[in-house]
Amino acid sequence: MRRIFLASLLAASTAAAQRPDPGAPQRPDALRFPADIDPGAGRKASSALFDGANAAYLSGDLPRAASSYEALLQEGIASAELETNLGATYLREGKRGLAALHLERALFLDPGDEDARADLAETRRAAVDRLEGETESREVLSRVLSPLPGQAAAILLIVAWTAAWGLFAAHLLRPARLLLPLSLAAFALSLVAAVVTAGAATWHSVALRRAVVVAPATPAREGPSERTATHFEVHEGTAVRIEDEEAGFRRIKLANGLVGWVPAAAVELVVPPGWAGQNG
Amino acid sequence: MSRRIGSAALLLVALVAGGARAADDIQVHASTDADEVAVDGTLNLQILVTVASGSQGADVQLPDFKDFDLVGRSQSEQTTIEFSNGAQSIHRRIVTNVALTPKHEGSATIEPARVTYRGRSYQTQPITVRVLGAAQAQRRRGAQPSARDTEEDPFRGMGSQIGTRDLLLRATIDNDAPYVGQQVTYSLYLLARGGVSGIDKLQVPKFDGFWSEALEEPQQLINEPRIIDGIPYSSFLLRKRALFPLRPGKVEIDPAEVDVLSGFGMLFSRSSAHRVAQAITIDVQPLPTAGRPTAFDLGNVGNWTLSTAVEPLTVSVGQPVTFKLVAQGRGNVRDLRLPRLGQVPGLRAYDATTTDKKSVEKGQLMGTRTIEQLLVPERTGDLEIPSLSMDIFDPAQKAYRTIRTEPVRLLVHAAEPGTAATVAQPAQNLLAAGGLRPIRLRLRAAAIGAPPWGQVWFWPALAAGPFAVAILVASGRARRMFWKDPRELRMRRARTAAQARLRGAEAMLAEKRPGPEFYAEVARGLTGYLADKQGIVAAGLTREELASALLARGHPSATVRALLGVLDHCDERRFAPGAPDERAQRTLLADADRILGELDRPGKDAA
Repeated sequence: MRRIFLASLLAASTAAAQRPDPGAPQRPDALRFPADIDPGAGRKASSALFDGANAAYLSGDLPRAASSYEALLQEGIASAELETNLGATYLREGKRGLAALHLERALFLDPGDEDARADLAETRRAAVDRLEGETESREVLSRVLSPLPGQAAAILLIVAWTAAWGLFAAHLLRPARLLLPLSLAAFALSLVAAVVTAGAATWHSVALRRAVVVAPATPAREGPSERTATHFEVHEGTAVRIEDEEAGFRRIKLANGLVGWVPAAAVELVVPPGWAGQNG
Repeated sequence: MSRRIGSAALLLVALVAGGARAADDIQVHASTDADEVAVDGTLNLQILVTVASGSQGADVQLPDFKDFDLVGRSQSEQTTIEFSNGAQSIHRRIVTNVALTPKHEGSATIEPARVTYRGRSYQTQPITVRVLGAAQAQRRRGAQPSARDTEEDPFRGMGSQIGTRDLLLRATIDNDAPYVGQQVTYSLYLLARGGVSGIDKLQVPKFDGFWSEALEEPQQLINEPRIIDGIPYSSFLLRKRALFPLRPGKVEIDPAEVDVLSGFGMLFSRSSAHRVAQAITIDVQPLPTAGRPTAFDLGNVGNWTLSTAVEPLTVSVGQPVTFKLVAQGRGNVRDLRLPRLGQVPGLRAYDATTTDKKSVEKGQLMGTRTIEQLLVPERTGDLEIPSLSMDIFDPAQKAYRTIRTEPVRLLVHAAEPGTAATVAQPAQNLLAAGGLRPIRLRLRAAAIGAPPWGQVWFWPALAAGPFAVAILVASGRARRMFWKDPRELRMRRARTAAQARLRGAEAMLAEKRPGPEFYAEVARGLTGYLADKQGIVAAGLTREELASALLARGHPSATVRALLGVLDHCDERRFAPGAPDERAQRTLLADADRILGELDRPGKDAA
C-alpha cells in the first residue's frame, strides 16, 4: 500500500514537472489519492498525504506540495489549514492569483484564521493592481462581519425566540410573577442573536459572489465577447465581485466600482460550487 | 592599415669585440610596418639608432635589398633628455625610414642594415616578410578589421585626409554612432614630419552633450613614429578622453586648437605654428525600446557585474555588520544607479555611503561603485539579505540584461550578558510583524454545509413560537365568544321547563293517572320555575316568606296569592288524596299556566 502511494506521488510529481508552462496559471495535476487505490484508506491516508505535502513544502519541493494539497481538495476535503498551506505554496511559487484564491477560501471556512489573513495581506502587498478611488467601506464591512459567529447565533436565535414566545404564552394562560420578565429577557437575547445572524448572513451573501482573478492578466471588456472594446486590464490576485454570467464570460465589479466582462476562466469563485449549500 | 612590427626586430648586436661600454652607448632597432605586403604594395622599414648625445654621428648603411626595390628614403634626428636615479642623460635618435616595394611574390627577406659608430660596426637582424599576390592582397584588404585593429590605429584610412602636409592636428574617435551612455574615445594627435619642441595654448573642445572623463593627458610630448600611407610621421598624443553621450541625435565636437613650437631655443631658431583639428560629428543612437525593462535606468549602460558582501556573517544581536553592494565593470560609473536595499525584517539599516573608483584599461574607462551600509540585527536567528537586481544595457551585445546578487544569510545569535552594543540601540531581539506565516501541520475538517438560515427548517422554526401563541390567543377569544351563563340559560329556559312539566301532568290526566303524581308534577313545575327564573327556592321557605320574596320582586299580589293557592291545593291533594276530579285538575293546570304567564311578564322580574 505504502509503495503504491509513494509511486503515485512520484508519478504525479514527474508529470507535473514535465508539463509545459502556458501563460495562464495552471494548477498542478492532482496526485492520485490513496482512497482511489484503496477505498478503505480513509482519513489515515488523507492525513498521510497532508503530512507528505507539508514535508515537500518544507523541503522546498513546491510543485509536489501543491499537487498533494490539490489532491486532498479534489477528494472533497474542506479545511482552513489545507487552504492556507496551499495558498502559501502558490505564493512561494509566485502564483499570486491562486494564492489569493485559496487564502480567501481559508478565511471563508474560518474567518478567524490569523495565518490566512496575514498571508493574504502578504499576497496583496505585491499585487499589480492598485485600485484608484477604492472605497474601503465594503472591505471594512466584510472584515467586521466575517468573524461573526453566524452559525451559533442562528441556533441561539431559534432557541431564545421560541423560549420567549413560550414564556409569553404561559403568561397569557396563567400569569405568574416571573413569566413576563423572563419572556422579555428572552426576546432581548433573540434580538441580539438576530442582529448577529443578519450580519453573518449579509457577509455570507457577499462572499458567495466574491471571486479572485487567477489569470496573470486579463482584459475587462465592454461586453461578453472578444470583439468588444477593452476597458481596462486586471491582474492576478485582485478580488472582484461576480455580478452576472453569460456565454463564457463573467461580469465583474471591482472594489472601486469599475465593471467589465472577463473570460470566465480568468476568475474563480471564492466559494466553489458544492460549498455553503450551493449547487455543485 | 594595421601596424605590425617586423618579426625580426633587432636590438643590439656587436660585431666587433668592442667592450661593453661601447655597446651601452648605442642601440639599433629595425622594424617594418607589416609582415605581409602585396606585390604591388609598399613596405616601410624603419631603422632607429639611439646614441649618446655629444658623440659622433652614427652612419647607417642600407643593404642591397635583393628582394625589394628602394622607392624612398628619409632620415631625421631627435634629441631626448631622460632622468634616471637622479642622473640626467641626453640621447640622439636617428630615424631612417625606407619605403620598399617587393620584386616577387612569396617569402622576401630584408637584409641586415649596417651602422658604424665610433669605428665599430653594428648590424640589424634580417627581417622576413611574406609577399602576397595582387588578388590575394585585395581579398585581405576587403576583410573586416578586428576590433583590436580598430582600437589601436586611430589613423586608419586617414591618409587621404592628411595629404602631404608636414604639421597637422588631428582628432579621432573610435565610434561615430554610439548608443546613449556608451563610451566614445576621443584622441587628439599632433602629426609632424619635422621636429617639434613643444606645444602652447592647447584648446580642447567643451564636449557639450557628453559626460567627459580624462583617459590620458601627457605632460610631455612623446613621439610615436607612424607610417601613414607610406609617409613617416612623428605622432604626439596630446589628449585622450572618454565621452559618454547624454542624449540621442547628432552631436558635433568643436575643433581643438594648438600652437606648435619648433626649434630649440637659443641654439636653434624657434618658430611657432597654429594648427586646428577638424570638427567631428557623432550620431548618437537612442537605446532600443524593444525589450527594455520597465525598471531600467538610462544611466545603467555598460558591461557591469553586481555583487554583495556582508562582514561578518555571524554576529550577536545589536552588533553592526557591514553590507557592501559593489558594481564593477566598463562604463560611466558616475551615472550608474544601483538598486537599494529595502527594509529587511529584523535588520535596522543606517544611511549608506557611496564610493566610486575609476581606472583605464585598454583605453576603456572602468569603474567600481561601492555602496556601504551599516546593518544592525534586531532579532536572533537566520536573517536573509535578499537578492538585489539591476537592469543594464550592454552596448557590445546591443541587449538588455538583468544582473543580480546572491542572497546572503546572516546568522544572528543572542548577545552575551554584559556585552554592550556598539550602537545606541539596546541589544534586543526585535520581532517585527510581516512575512509569510509557517504552514500548519494539523488538518481539521471544516463544515461547508448551508448555514442555518439556509436550511428548510430555519424559518418554520422561527415562526413556530409566534404562531403557537397566536393560536392560543385566538382560541381563548373564541371560547370567550361562545361561553353562556348557565344561570341565565336556566332563567331563559325556566318557562319552557315549567310548561314541559305541566304538559307532563296533562299527559298523566290523559293516561288516567290523576293521583298525587299529577299534583306533584304541577307543584314541581311551579317551584322549578320560581327557582330557575326568580331565584327563589320555594322548598326552604314558608308561604309568607315566599309571598314576600315574590312581592319584593314586584309581582302583583293577586298573582302571588293565586300561586300560593295552587301550591297549597297541590300539597293538599298530594298528601290527602280524594276522589279525582278531572275537571278541577284541568282548571288547576290552566291556573298554573296563567300564573306562569303572569310571573314571566317582562319588567316584573327583578332578579
